[in-house]
Amino acid sequence: MIQLSYLDYSAVEGKSWLHRFSPKFKIIGMAFVLLGIVTMRNLTGLLLLYAILLTLFFISRIPLKIFSLTLYPLIFAFLFIFISGFQINFILLIFLKVLCGSTGVVLLLATTPYPSIFGILGKVLPSIFVTALFLTYRSIFILLNILEETEHALHLRGGVQWRHPWRSLANISHGFGHLIIRGIDASEKMYESMVLRGFKNKIHYRGE
Amino acid sequence: MSHIHFPDGVLPVWLWASGFIVAILVGAILFRFIKKEELTRRLPLLGMMAAVMVLGASVEIVPIAYHINLTVISGILLGPSLIFLATFVVNVILALFGHGGITVIGLNTLTLSIEGIIGYFLFRLLWRVFRRLTPAIFIATFLALFCSTLSMIGVVSLGTSHYEELIHQERKGIIGFHLSKEKGDEHQGGVSERKVNLKRFIAIVLPLGFIGWILEGVITSLITRYIHRLRPDLLRLKT
Repeated sequence: MIQLSYLDYSAVEGKSWLHRFSPKFKIIGMAFVLLGIVTMRNLTGLLLLYAILLTLFFISRIPLKIFSLTLYPLIFAFLFIFISGFQINFILLIFLKVLCGSTGVVLLLATTPYPSIFGILGKVLPSIFVTALFLTYRSIFILLNILEETEHALHLRGGVQWRHPWRSLANISHGFGHLIIRGIDASEKMYESMVLRGFKNKIHYRGE
Repeated sequence: MSHIHFPDGVLPVWLWASGFIVAILVGAILFRFIKKEELTRRLPLLGMMAAVMVLGASVEIVPIAYHINLTVISGILLGPSLIFLATFVVNVILALFGHGGITVIGLNTLTLSIEGIIGYFLFRLLWRVFRRLTPAIFIATFLALFCSTLSMIGVVSLGTSHYEELIHQERKGIIGFHLSKEKGDEHQGGVSERKVNLKRFIAIVLPLGFIGWILEGVITSLITRYIHRLRPDLLRLKT
């Protein structure tokens, strides 16, 4: 989650042709990638799709640090190794589906500023849902800042030590409690400032 | 455990499409119970709690393949209508980072919101019975997680014939499936094998889940106690 800020930085500061490409067409392209993932059942097709996405990723000059984000979902895909009885074809099929999905999404987020994505989503989805999505995305950054401070405080109170599980659990829980309370305080302030700026159920994006 | 971590293309289309349809219908019904002004006023809180849930879900407890959901505490703070929208948003963001497929968002919303809604009502009920915070929140969290895990198992089991189909093209089995080519065998043997298969899946999920439910129950209790000490108004408890 901490790499979210890199995604944002890449989306805003990137200068490649994919960054300049219309957000609408990038979202449509992502829908086609998803359609391919759902319908394709042969390794060759998926391998080709993954190769295309990888090529786009590297020619868009997206920071390499972000590439690890595309591999994160493999943690969950590893479960399939055990439940499939170590059948290599099936495992490869699942892994490729996972990698195509994550690379496609990271490619979209790393080349398109999030207000543009939310602006387009707002045209097709209910405004209340898009507003909730936008506020959640903003809140993640606020919470990540609070989390950084909380981590220092937790460290000073003993942090997480495997030799003291109960104390560690209490520290983690109090850390989350602190995060929630500070987050709620921040959300109250955010609401007041939004109302002052004329918020009425819907956020309007530039260019709308 | 209640979060379905399946990538896109594994669950059958009819299943995930029905997940979206049912989620939209349930959402539409739940939104009738909340006033528009109330919804607008609480949207920033919803966003913040959804963000807390996203952060909680990104901390993986590797040995038991578990991550805390924090859906019950979010349900208590947001109420049953808003927790539904919050889980929808959380699942969209998690799916964007490959934490469960994009097509599974509807089903994941349903299973996670079951957790939040049951947790909310159980907590209110148990608070009236015990008048003590820790047992009320622990039992509510534990039972809510149990119910949502059962619903997740139910959803996964609905797609068994599709997994069979996916494997059939590889001429091999998944989760202990060994397909019989003759129709008669399929009819007789298939049912029992399907049962064995589900039993194996449940045998992995439930014991690991049990540890996770206790862990999340303890964490949620400690968080709630912390909130109760500093901001009791947030819990809206009648004393």
